[in-house]
Amino acid sequence: MGNSGLITSLVDGVLIGVIYGLAAMGMTLIWGVMSVINLAHGSVIALGMFGIYLLFTSLGLNPYLALILVAILGLLLGVIIYSIAIHRVVNASHLSTLLATFSVNMIVIGLGTAIFSTSPRNVNYSLGNLTLGPVTLLNARLVAALAAVLVTSALYLFLYRTRLGKYVRAVANNRAAAELMGIPSAQILALSFGLGTMLAAIAGGLIATFFPFTILSGGVYELKSFVIVVLGGLGNPLGALAGGLILGMLESIIPIFLPNTWVPVLEFLLFVLILLVRPSGLFGVKK
Amino acid sequence: MAILEIRDVTSGYGEVQILWGAGLTLEENKLTCLVGANGAGKTTLLRTVMGLLRPWSGSILFEGKDFSRVPAHTKAEMGLVLVPEGRQLFTDMTVVENLEMGATNRRSRPKFKDNLERVFEMFPRMKERANQKAGTLSGGEQQMLAVARGIMAEPRVLMIDELSLGLAPLLVLQLFDSLKQLKKTGITILLVEQNVQMALAVSDYGYVLSQGRSELEGPTRQLMDNQHVRTAYLGL
Repeated sequence: MGNSGLITSLVDGVLIGVIYGLAAMGMTLIWGVMSVINLAHGSVIALGMFGIYLLFTSLGLNPYLALILVAILGLLLGVIIYSIAIHRVVNASHLSTLLATFSVNMIVIGLGTAIFSTSPRNVNYSLGNLTLGPVTLLNARLVAALAAVLVTSALYLFLYRTRLGKYVRAVANNRAAAELMGIPSAQILALSFGLGTMLAAIAGGLIATFFPFTILSGGVYELKSFVIVVLGGLGNPLGALAGGLILGMLESIIPIFLPNTWVPVLEFLLFVLILLVRPSGLFGVKK
Repeated sequence: MAILEIRDVTSGYGEVQILWGAGLTLEENKLTCLVGANGAGKTTLLRTVMGLLRPWSGSILFEGKDFSRVPAHTKAEMGLVLVPEGRQLFTDMTVVENLEMGATNRRSRPKFKDNLERVFEMFPRMKERANQKAGTLSGGEQQMLAVARGIMAEPRVLMIDELSLGLAPLLVLQLFDSLKQLKKTGITILLVEQNVQMALAVSDYGYVLSQGRSELEGPTRQLMDNQHVRTAYLGL
């Protein structure tokens, strides 16, 4: 493989990395605000994939328009999951919240398997290729990465420029003080969980525009999110983006030198290594 | 006129009773202090008044109406504001953002700009540090910010828990001075202090809380002359 192959792989890695980053951001946001590790993350990613798939195949909706709907549904779903399964255990030990989110995961996967079976699907909608000098890219990936960057920027504007977003940060920072200020913390927690879920659903939807998937595919991306979140530091959204980029590039470069099956081995080796050397993540702050 | 009246309140945590009949009356536009030894129940009383703890018995009246069962955020809405012990700032957020969070209730939001100016005038240091993260401020500055954040809530009654804790005496004097200024702007203040001497010196009226009961009360001059207060709290 020549130089152009390497560059193509790198660019591809960046594009996919941004989307991985988006998924991880959902996980890290929920952790940052309420210290809950969301094990239902993967199932929501899968729901995002199926959301796009169903809206496209049965309603004929343009997948990128469908994404807006999937985002809204993801937000609502997150608020509902929070209200039913998380709210009553949000102050309990990590084991309780892990079990609660794991149960949600099992329910979604179970229902999904019953309804959709586990046969692979794909969204048959092509945007063609783009050739820039030596580099040829799938337009679908380019658009997906741009969408992910757009969503990330919107999240940042929301968290740092709007009153509601500042409430989210305040509740994350000191919930007791936020309540004292009159910030309705229960609602803010529900909103934050909704936002985290929304990001997972959007990421899933974007992935579905260029990779085939089954109802079980979310699990793979949930694991990737774990690696990314640890890379970037738990609770740090920008770190998640950077971690996503690193992971995306690793995934595109490793196969050039080694068989594809080595990718997860090296990924998780990196995961363990970082946990050993820098447990607060590459960009994490010690608490 | 009394703006806040606490009558014979009992309260505590779980099975543990801390307050055994505490009462006090806040006259409007006065600076009242509540002093007492460590563990006397001062913070518990504040938490009960604020609605963070339920009173077991007794009544809490705000402008003559019982509001002991009103939840904390509604109390904030009505103008009862607590500057909590240990500051409880949003350390990852900037000074201005902390002040913005202080102005959360509906009454204070439209007055955000005016109050921000007022707070910056009172604590010029906050203006200098406006875009700095609250966690990077010094202890004294953090306490200023905690009080400033309380003022942003447009309080009618401002309750301050342990203003002087851990601060240098000169800084404490400065902060107490700003309380006097604040009183002039029409805010009723309840100052809860372990530093009895300083609290009595700055306040109009004082209460002594001992083992969960209101033990003594009176104009601060009178309290300072009281033999029991002098020996038990002032070490004279």
